[in-house]
Amino acid sequence: MAMDDIQVKDGVDAETVEAVKALSGTYKYGWNTEIEMEYAPKGLSEDIVRLISSKNDEPEWMLDWRLAAYRRWLELIEPDWAMVDYPTIDFQDQYYYARPKSMEEKPKSLDEVDPKLLETYKKLGIPLKEQALLAGVEAPEGERRVAVDAVFDSVSVGTTFKAELRKAGVIFCSISEAIREHPELVRKYLGSVVPVSDNYYATLNSAVFSDGSFVYIPPGVRCPMELSTYFRINAENTGQFERTLIIADKDSYVSYLEGCTAPQRDVAQLHAAVVELVLLDDAEIKYSTVQNWFPGDENGKGGIYNFVTKRADCRGDRSKVMWTQVETGSAVTWKYPSCVLRGDDSQGEFYSIAIANNMQQADTGTKMVHLGKNTKSRIVSKGISAGKAQNTYRGLVSMHPKAKNSRNYTQCDSLLIGDKCGAHTVPYIEVKNNSSRVEHEATTSKVDDDQLFYCRSRGMDEEEAVALVVNGFCKEVLQALPMEFAMEAQALVAISLEGSVG
Amino acid sequence: MLNIKNLHVKLEEEDKQILKGVNLFLEPGKVHAIMGPNGSGKSTLSYVLSGKGGYEVTDGSAQLEGVDILDMEAEERAAAGLFLAFQYPVEIPGVGNMTFLRTAVNAQRKLRGEEEMSAGEFLKVVRAKAKDLKIDADMLKRPVNVGFSGGEKKRNEILQMAMLEPKMCILDETDSGLDVDAMKLVAQGVNALRDDKRTFLVITHYQRLLDHIKPDVVHIMANGRIIKTGGPELALEVENNGYADLLEEVA
Amino acid sequence: MAVSSQKTSSTRALTDSELTDSSGAWAREARMTASKRAQAAGLPQRRDEYWKYTRPDAFVQADVTLQASLRTSLGLFDRRTTVSVGFGDGKIQAAALPSAVHCTLESLASASVLDLHWARDVYGRLEAAGQKPVERSLAAVNTAIAREGLLLNVTGAVEAPIHIHATSSGHSDAIIHHVIKVAEGAAVTLIETGQYGARSNIVLEVDVADGGRFHHIRVQDGNERHMLTHIFGKIGAEATFKSFTLTSGVELTRNECVLQLLGDNASVSVAGACLGDRDFHHDDTVFITHDAVNCESRQVFKKVLRNGAVGVFQGKILVKAGAQRTDGYQISQSLLLDDDSQFLAKPELEIYADDVACSHGSTSGAIDEQALFYLRSRGVPEAKAVDLLTLSFVAEAIEEIEDEDLAQDILDHLTETLSAR
Repeated sequence: MAMDDIQVKDGVDAETVEAVKALSGTYKYGWNTEIEMEYAPKGLSEDIVRLISSKNDEPEWMLDWRLAAYRRWLELIEPDWAMVDYPTIDFQDQYYYARPKSMEEKPKSLDEVDPKLLETYKKLGIPLKEQALLAGVEAPEGERRVAVDAVFDSVSVGTTFKAELRKAGVIFCSISEAIREHPELVRKYLGSVVPVSDNYYATLNSAVFSDGSFVYIPPGVRCPMELSTYFRINAENTGQFERTLIIADKDSYVSYLEGCTAPQRDVAQLHAAVVELVLLDDAEIKYSTVQNWFPGDENGKGGIYNFVTKRADCRGDRSKVMWTQVETGSAVTWKYPSCVLRGDDSQGEFYSIAIANNMQQADTGTKMVHLGKNTKSRIVSKGISAGKAQNTYRGLVSMHPKAKNSRNYTQCDSLLIGDKCGAHTVPYIEVKNNSSRVEHEATTSKVDDDQLFYCRSRGMDEEEAVALVVNGFCKEVLQALPMEFAMEAQALVAISLEGSVG
Repeated sequence: MLNIKNLHVKLEEEDKQILKGVNLFLEPGKVHAIMGPNGSGKSTLSYVLSGKGGYEVTDGSAQLEGVDILDMEAEERAAAGLFLAFQYPVEIPGVGNMTFLRTAVNAQRKLRGEEEMSAGEFLKVVRAKAKDLKIDADMLKRPVNVGFSGGEKKRNEILQMAMLEPKMCILDETDSGLDVDAMKLVAQGVNALRDDKRTFLVITHYQRLLDHIKPDVVHIMANGRIIKTGGPELALEVENNGYADLLEEVA
Repeated sequence: MAVSSQKTSSTRALTDSELTDSSGAWAREARMTASKRAQAAGLPQRRDEYWKYTRPDAFVQADVTLQASLRTSLGLFDRRTTVSVGFGDGKIQAAALPSAVHCTLESLASASVLDLHWARDVYGRLEAAGQKPVERSLAAVNTAIAREGLLLNVTGAVEAPIHIHATSSGHSDAIIHHVIKVAEGAAVTLIETGQYGARSNIVLEVDVADGGRFHHIRVQDGNERHMLTHIFGKIGAEATFKSFTLTSGVELTRNECVLQLLGDNASVSVAGACLGDRDFHHDDTVFITHDAVNCESRQVFKKVLRNGAVGVFQGKILVKAGAQRTDGYQISQSLLLDDDSQFLAKPELEIYADDVACSHGSTSGAIDEQALFYLRSRGVPEAKAVDLLTLSFVAEAIEEIEDEDLAQDILDHLTETLSAR
């Protein structure tokens, strides 16, 4: 393990200052790759659903599934309970399908991937190591390995390390490929965690999802590398509807990384992803996200609308899931990665940093639904509000009557920077048996003046000092991230707060 | 007074045997000490005798004055005259120390079919006993053990012992966390309660408490059994040589 | 949504003439506007987020019968010298209300026939202010139709507590509206015990001027079937507001408390302890708005539940922009004595100022086995030990009562209630 990696854990704060210096400037990832796009017409209808299905060469059952979702969606009403305020979305004024033209014929290998795409990854800041992976260069012996399934807008363009994964029996491919190649798995599990009619955005996603990732870890297998998807929205006015399905069979383990960036633009963009995790007996999944989509400019113009449904179903005994998220981007975030703790002795963890600056609005949190005996959950949420942003933690801890001897611990802290922003906490606690113990703590405070003064008296400017103190505030969550992400996340924390002081 | 025969105890939740055949015979009016390394089962013995949940007696018996106590509820054992001074006394916010003591004294009297102590008499007695242990009026008023220092908690345990006047007193690591002055005060309190009928079982890791509470008999416990029994000199031997030699001796 | 006649009020359909019948000018105006508020808001529905954990229908259903008396708080504060106000079946009993130095006591029934009255500045005004952001239409209904209540005008430091004791004899609805005005630097303690009716809808409006002090202690242990209470408070600078409620009877209670801190350096505390058994459903809903600098608010709620009882806490602290140096504390805890009981909580913070220290904590669990064993090892029988630990559990809420004597009375009453069950 390299020295850098060790320091990420121990010296988070010191490096942040470096990161702030190195990454100054406005939105780093605000550019637009010039790749020819192929669009379906704007708007949503049964025909569009059929088109998406046929473009992906889907079997009949999949089309039927989509159409059922579409018809259900027509009956639903867009929810308005979150503390977010945005102009009414005209769902008929969105593109529901777009893909780079050069992808019409799928590449047989990475060599055939459009060089511009590879260039894209470079700009995105995908670490050199991973670029090498993308370029097909074998990593030195003993190096940590990451397999990347890159989703460029709607179509998966390349996966690496497929052979090695195949050797382990791991399936890691695009969901459209999985629908064709592994229909038995997809039919069994798709929609089994997030039902088609779960909520407005999930139902929409079920009808029109264009692509996404699929992972299957067979019984007893520890996935030999971290799996990673980088995706970004890259076409103007294109709704992005990712669908991810991860199945961890008995006694298996996988760590999955998801990172997002998006180019700058001035028309709000809609995103409604669905992520389903299935865990059988003794399985473990770590799912980490760094979300850095374009948040809009200082006036809130042009940012991404991000309505995500993420849920893990710990249906096996002793299964364990850990959600870690760093949410710094998007104009509007509506996202509650949840755990259904169905199996006895199963565990769910949620670690979150949500930063809202300028005009950003974030309404995020988690649900821990305890159904099985001796189940445990832990929630650590750190919300930071700056500028004129509104940041809400919304969560549910539910102990069902049969979830005997279960435990929950929730720590939910909010930090305010400046007097124009808001920090809100809306937890729901429902306890229906007495052998379970629920503990919830929440605090809201401003950045500590003494800490800031101390940093400044040691020569830091105010912005550096704030970044340092905020990184300290978030430390518990940053440490829960895999190393690949910890560095990037720290940098993001600092970048996201630019212009919030002074 | 207390007769423990072949006591075998395991944890209720897991398959872990803690006591593996403990035999002890404590005569009235005597002070027995049990010493032993950490994890030898000393505290478990005190918990099992006083009726704490989470343990399962798989074999053996324990009789207090000829009566089997292992099937009794904790409060019945207390009424029968058994008292455990805890290593870590629990804090009970909102319940005044006096209220607690009076409830306990009268509950025991009631269980024994005796008359309750009147408020006036109780106050008189508790004040006198508290004074001996340097427990001031404020400590009596405060909630049970809440905000008490380590020494205050232990003195409070001894005050309870003095008020409840048990026949069989078990002191579990009463010296832990105490400085020399506090330990002397606690020992004085214990010694004041010594008479020819009351029996003490003093559980301790170190010999130093036994300088102040002189034992008649010293037992060494290891790995769930009493491995050696002797006079006060045995404690000194442990103090000088540690437990290692003894453990080797029996191994 | 219009209020249909079938569910217009807890009792009967309303007409404009009924509303204003025999009312003087000030009351007529207040009732008419309240009626409009109620009509505009409509009655609470089961799907309303604000009624997530308590079904509102029980408060508007037609048939309610009084159960046999179980226990009563009668005599609870007899040890104290109080100025006693009796309510019988929803009416103030004595023809002449008692008098006390530094305050006047009047009944709403007699004051409302006048054309001018000091209560005009408070009656329905604080309730109206408390309709945002969440509508509380049952309180507006109360303002519109309440015929009785105590009007208390406090002009100085009133020494003895004012004690409302209510009795009721049978099947009746009580719709009561109290108004209390505490002048600058004045102080009063209000005690409420007993039961107003088989089903009660009680509104208490309290206007505490700068430097005023209002203390409120309430015991809900009668055999009322359903009880809905609203406190609407407006708190001035340097003023103090404290309200404590002990609930051990009443099948269904919802106590709402809506406070607006409008002056700097004010301090408020809303606390409650409840003992719930069987069909008991108890809901504390608190909404505190900080709209001034350097104010402190505390919410302390403890619920002990068994045999399927349900405890609900919805508490919110709203810190408006500019309400700097706010100190907000909120704790809600439940002790579940068996597996059938439920605790449902939604402790909320909504904060728009940065220089604040706000926190909330919430826990739920069974009795502490370590503490139980400790007590039993001292000879305390299990049932008694559970009672002691119950007292220990609720102590933090009772400590919110400033007057030590009254706190002791509550504690004694609680001890008796526990040992009686």
